[in-house]
Amino acid sequence: MKDYDAIVIGAGNAGLSAAATLQRGGMRTLLMERHNIPGGCATSFVRGDYEFEVALHQLSGLGTEDQPAILRHVFDSMGISDKVDYVEEHHLYRYAVPGVIDITLPASVKGIISVLSEAFPAEADKLKPFLDLCEVLTLEAYMAYPRAKATGDPEVIKKNCRNFVKYGLRNAKDVLDEFFDDPVLKGVLGGYWGYMGLPLKELPFSDLGVMLYAYAAMKPWHVVGGSQALSNALLDSFLEAGGDVRFNCGAEQITTDNGAVAAVRTEHGEIFTTNQVVSNASSILTYNQLLDRPELAGDVREDFKSRRMGVSGFVLYLGLDCTPEDLGIEVATNFIANTIDDEAQHAEALTLDGAPKGCLFTCYTVGDETLAPKGKSVVALMCLQYGSAWDNVKPEDYAATKFAYAEKLIDLAETVIPSVRAHIEEIEVATPMTMMRYLNTPGGAIYGFSQGIAEHGAVRDRVRPVHGLHLAGSWSGMGGFQPTYQAGASVGGSILRKQNKKAG
Amino acid sequence: MTLKDIRSVIDGFDATRAQMEDLAETGQDFANEGARFQTRVASLHPKRLALTVSELVEETATTRTLRLTGDAGTLPPFLAGQYVNLFVTVDGVETARPFAISSAPQECGHYDLTVRKIPGGFVSPWLVEGLQVGAKVSSSGPMGSFYVNPIHHGDDLVFLAGGSGVAPAISMIRDIAARRLPVKFHLIYGSRQTDDVIFQRELSELDAACDFLTLTQVISEPNDTYQGRSGFIDAALMSEVCGEMTGKTVYLCGPPAMNAVCAKMLKDIGVTDKRLHIEANGPPVDPTARAGWPTGIGADQKITVTVNGRGSFETTAGEPLLNALEKAGYQVENACRSGECSLCRIKVLSGDVFNPSEAKLRQSDRRFGWVHSCVAYATSDVEILL
Repeated sequence: MKDYDAIVIGAGNAGLSAAATLQRGGMRTLLMERHNIPGGCATSFVRGDYEFEVALHQLSGLGTEDQPAILRHVFDSMGISDKVDYVEEHHLYRYAVPGVIDITLPASVKGIISVLSEAFPAEADKLKPFLDLCEVLTLEAYMAYPRAKATGDPEVIKKNCRNFVKYGLRNAKDVLDEFFDDPVLKGVLGGYWGYMGLPLKELPFSDLGVMLYAYAAMKPWHVVGGSQALSNALLDSFLEAGGDVRFNCGAEQITTDNGAVAAVRTEHGEIFTTNQVVSNASSILTYNQLLDRPELAGDVREDFKSRRMGVSGFVLYLGLDCTPEDLGIEVATNFIANTIDDEAQHAEALTLDGAPKGCLFTCYTVGDETLAPKGKSVVALMCLQYGSAWDNVKPEDYAATKFAYAEKLIDLAETVIPSVRAHIEEIEVATPMTMMRYLNTPGGAIYGFSQGIAEHGAVRDRVRPVHGLHLAGSWSGMGGFQPTYQAGASVGGSILRKQNKKAG
Repeated sequence: MTLKDIRSVIDGFDATRAQMEDLAETGQDFANEGARFQTRVASLHPKRLALTVSELVEETATTRTLRLTGDAGTLPPFLAGQYVNLFVTVDGVETARPFAISSAPQECGHYDLTVRKIPGGFVSPWLVEGLQVGAKVSSSGPMGSFYVNPIHHGDDLVFLAGGSGVAPAISMIRDIAARRLPVKFHLIYGSRQTDDVIFQRELSELDAACDFLTLTQVISEPNDTYQGRSGFIDAALMSEVCGEMTGKTVYLCGPPAMNAVCAKMLKDIGVTDKRLHIEANGPPVDPTARAGWPTGIGADQKITVTVNGRGSFETTAGEPLLNALEKAGYQVENACRSGECSLCRIKVLSGDVFNPSEAKLRQSDRRFGWVHSCVAYATSDVEILL
């Protein structure tokens, strides 16, 4: 008899989802987390009277109560639907480049077409076909393609996934160029590139198109209490089902026997036996550091060589002593840049020498006042940044360097929202080093490996060298909230199915 | 691959696979990446620091400075005003207390912690009287947000210190002097008696040497020969020595009673939340006097705490759960011990727990029954999850 039917390493989104799924499915599960709180990225912290959402900007995939989408069903299956409340956002985003454009996309396909037709009348007739493509691509990528591929017949793929075949793996810049002429319009429609961390020319169009359509059709959502509320709800569901959790308990080693998982040793030296381990740690640490015999993972390390370290972020958490109205903002999600050139913006993520050219100003108190004291606001102001930008910053220069970059980021935000600095009551600065510290991810990466076309699920082959060792999270699939919740539920579900087959 | 991959029908599939092969030529297997970034993180934020008491300085009859040297050499940098949590074993109990660092950030070989003995205290008497040079201790890394933030604090700074609350202030003054920062710093320092004043000589020297520094000292129980200011730090004194408060950033660090009184006074004279930074200072002195404490329950009320799956013990309602757990031999991670950092977060499975205003709980932690054990009080028998 093993100590546990399954052990989940890491209580991030995918770890929590996997643990809740496994325990509710009847497997005795131990969830281990090195930090003192569940969530990983999906967390919050309190300073003074403010509670700061750490990572979630817009939750995708929920759909409305009347028209629930996939994530609502996944949350139902994990037993958290009555434990969490959501706030609907009515806009996708404001896209503002001073002197060039300042426009807000509503959260509906019709609304987007209407707003953009008015602003770009010369290209109005191409908007509907473009958004139609995004819609059909979404259906093909998630429904038709997996089925077609399972038939093993390339002709079925061609026939049933025509748009995915033609557009799925092309780069997003290419496809925007095919539809539109005006570079500003293309900039507006490509606004979400930052959510994937790479410029449009490196992103698979299916990722951008799906994201745009999904947010427009299924709405962006905020969570009451922030993403920590989701993390706490998932843990609660896991505990109610009888799961065991250990906080302040990092995994130190995954022990194998004959190439199959046998046990997990904790940082405190305890050993728990099991045949199934779900690792929500990065694949890099799982195979290179946790696995007792790294030589088992030779194929994985070969595979690593074709991947690149993903982007991290530089984030200011701001408690402001004024309302969103006082700031003149009506939209929670504001992309602010001094150029429409996404490549120039992305290039700044590699260095601390210059200044950010693009940023995201998310004001959580638009639509949900509960995160801040009355009359005040909570903001996350972020730009993308690679961990490598900090490689040569000496520890003694760390604080001064982060404050200096923070000033530059506030300067950029103030080109559109003028009085940010004067309203700061609380501020906390997070750098890629902070992400490394709390997420324990190489490079402080927030979406796993660099999410280019070569990372697309339709291109990568799965490598699973150790029997009973499963990966769940952004390092073995797409990054972001919805994908990682679904990845955890899916890994948990597939372990359960195999287990039940054996038992039945 | 001999058979053509069926995915080749997707435009760009073959090209991307070829690109992956190119990437693999110049890529890496990240074999050393884990150790590399974890070492870098530890140089800023170690989980624990191994330290040796290298020097003990008697500051006053009740206060001494512990000079702690890092066993692994240079210590992580800190911002003047930050604290470390010092882990100690007193009377067989493994516990810890947070102390602000009083040395300058520029002195990176040691941290000075200036500790005042609290009458009836559990840890401070041992630190002031029991600890010897050469003793091994450990601490957290530097923590906390009580420091001069260059982004929004401005250049006109006022620090109200009481007792050993002067420790972070002197670190700030030393830092400003070393970095020649373009700020004004006014330290208003209250002590009970003249021989309670900590750093009297250093402060006088700094006052003489530093143009940016203004020093106002107040003694609340002066003796007959004392010539200086006496009384408490109140609105009249503030008005006299500081004048108009608009645009000034105020730091407040003193005993809990002083913090409460001065915070109210500062608000009354127009210092806004934005301009006021109060250093947390432990759990409430008397939780039973707080709003929301249940009627009919005294601080001495006996309480049984059951730790889910790990046994139970008896404590009293007036004892913070963290302290009670430590005395019963349970280890709980912790740092600020004042309700803020959340490291001592535990879940209440059943029973009633009182959370005073010090407890900076997340909205959803409240909903799901998580508390900060350093400032949580069981007011009935409880079961908790560690």
